[in-house]
Amino acid sequence: MSADLRTRVGALALGHPVMNASGTLDALAARAAGIEADRELALLVTKTVTPLAREGNPAPRVCEVEGGMLNSIGLPNPGLEAFAAAVLPQTRALGRPLVVSIGGFEHADYGLACARLDGEPGIVALELNVSCPNVKSGCISIGSDPAETEAVVRLCRAATRLPLWVKLSPNVADLAAIALAAERGGADALVLTNTLRGLAIDHRTLKPLLGGVSGGLSGPALKPVALAAVHACHAACGLPIVGVGGIASGWDALEFLAAGACAVQVGSAAFREPLLARRVRDELATLLDGRGMTAVSALKTTTLD
Amino acid sequence: MTLSRVASCEPLGPYSHVRLERTFAPGDPGQFHMLRPLAHGGLLARPLSAVASDDASVTFLCQPGSGALAALAHVGAEVEVIGPFGRGFDAGAAGAEPVLVGGGFGAALLAPLSRLLPSAPLLAAFRDAAAARAAELVPAAEREIALPPANVLDALAPRLAGASCVLAAGPDGLVRAVAAACAAAGVPCQVALEAPMACGYGACYGCAVSLGGKLVRLCVEGPVVAGERLAAA
Repeated sequence: MSADLRTRVGALALGHPVMNASGTLDALAARAAGIEADRELALLVTKTVTPLAREGNPAPRVCEVEGGMLNSIGLPNPGLEAFAAAVLPQTRALGRPLVVSIGGFEHADYGLACARLDGEPGIVALELNVSCPNVKSGCISIGSDPAETEAVVRLCRAATRLPLWVKLSPNVADLAAIALAAERGGADALVLTNTLRGLAIDHRTLKPLLGGVSGGLSGPALKPVALAAVHACHAACGLPIVGVGGIASGWDALEFLAAGACAVQVGSAAFREPLLARRVRDELATLLDGRGMTAVSALKTTTLD
Repeated sequence: MTLSRVASCEPLGPYSHVRLERTFAPGDPGQFHMLRPLAHGGLLARPLSAVASDDASVTFLCQPGSGALAALAHVGAEVEVIGPFGRGFDAGAAGAEPVLVGGGFGAALLAPLSRLLPSAPLLAAFRDAAAARAAELVPAAEREIALPPANVLDALAPRLAGASCVLAAGPDGLVRAVAAACAAAGVPCQVALEAPMACGYGACYGCAVSLGGKLVRLCVEGPVVAGERLAAA
């Protein structure tokens, strides 16, 4: 027996529940390095694109910390038009369903991107990044406020027919309130969660280790935070949830599904194991088999009801 | 990703000379692998470039310190390996009179290149005699070792006029100074850069360095880059 891993994120049907987290896989660069990581994913989530090109934050941008890593990458990307003209066609040619991550610094940035990408073939959803902790304006400052979140999602909803996934930050006092605001605005799904803001100090200089001073914490230490976010938002609103944060095994994925997610994203653990998604998927099937579950879809009804 | 094991580990001055069972391709000179000793338990692998290989093993030089690299320096240690990654040295473009310039433990990266370019002299700078033992790994027949207060750039200057290409590896300040000297003399130059790196294959965008006024991913466009790009930064 092998469990049926098919799942859905709203109306979007997936062959299995494992995809990448935005900003943790450049499928084109990986292919050039001989790594076909995208083939292991249910769909491919792009790095966040902003209206104008960005170089990102100063180096150092990454460091390992107890329980995970910090990043202060700062959304480097070629800008919306260059993305649509060059990166998107090359990425589309990989033949994977695409979710394009969108970031911005004011509300109109998000609406502009949604309108520009509406109708582009190969895109099955847009992920609104209102949660990046590594930029000085926009993003997380929008996603920290229910009214702003609702307004941005509503603006995007009017600009595109594509499903809208809203990626939220754990750096808020009442995440369920933000989730409900996204739902009111017209979101189709939530992605929970982005990284948790953190700081590392260089032992030699006693200065911040990262060039951007603070960074986003990912890895094992984020997992309980993200699980709590999934659980809280699943209880608060009716939106499907894609869980992300510290997933490195089938057990981790199963925990997120049990907490209320319908799919999961793998991120920083794939830095050391590029084909992690395949192992997570296979381990998940084995775990479901071992529990006598024939399908991912059975998990919710048996564990949450 | 493949699993390997540390077959031997010998001190070499302040460094560890770590020989891994050859369960993976050694790559070209200047390319790198991402190594993760399982005993460390940390999230990330570490980038290291091979300094030698044979049918049974691939050898690295590392500064153990603490953490992941300390865990690497133990006989029998199990190590996850991915790679080789990145763009290495282009030995074919080195011409008839290449010169190798190294500094610190990065000088050992020049060892496989020296085997391809046996006529190339090695000019290398170290903080002390113990650190200079890294140069023992480089088989160049002709060598000049600079210890403080000597400056390796002073050894390079008289050789630039006759050099077809300079190939350099070491601390950022050293390779940038070498690139600037080569640019001023009109001598082609290839330099190996270093940057903190989480993945090694273009996924994390963590290894950004400034080249020609732009931030680029070192694992994608390097770690060996044309010195002209550094000089223009």
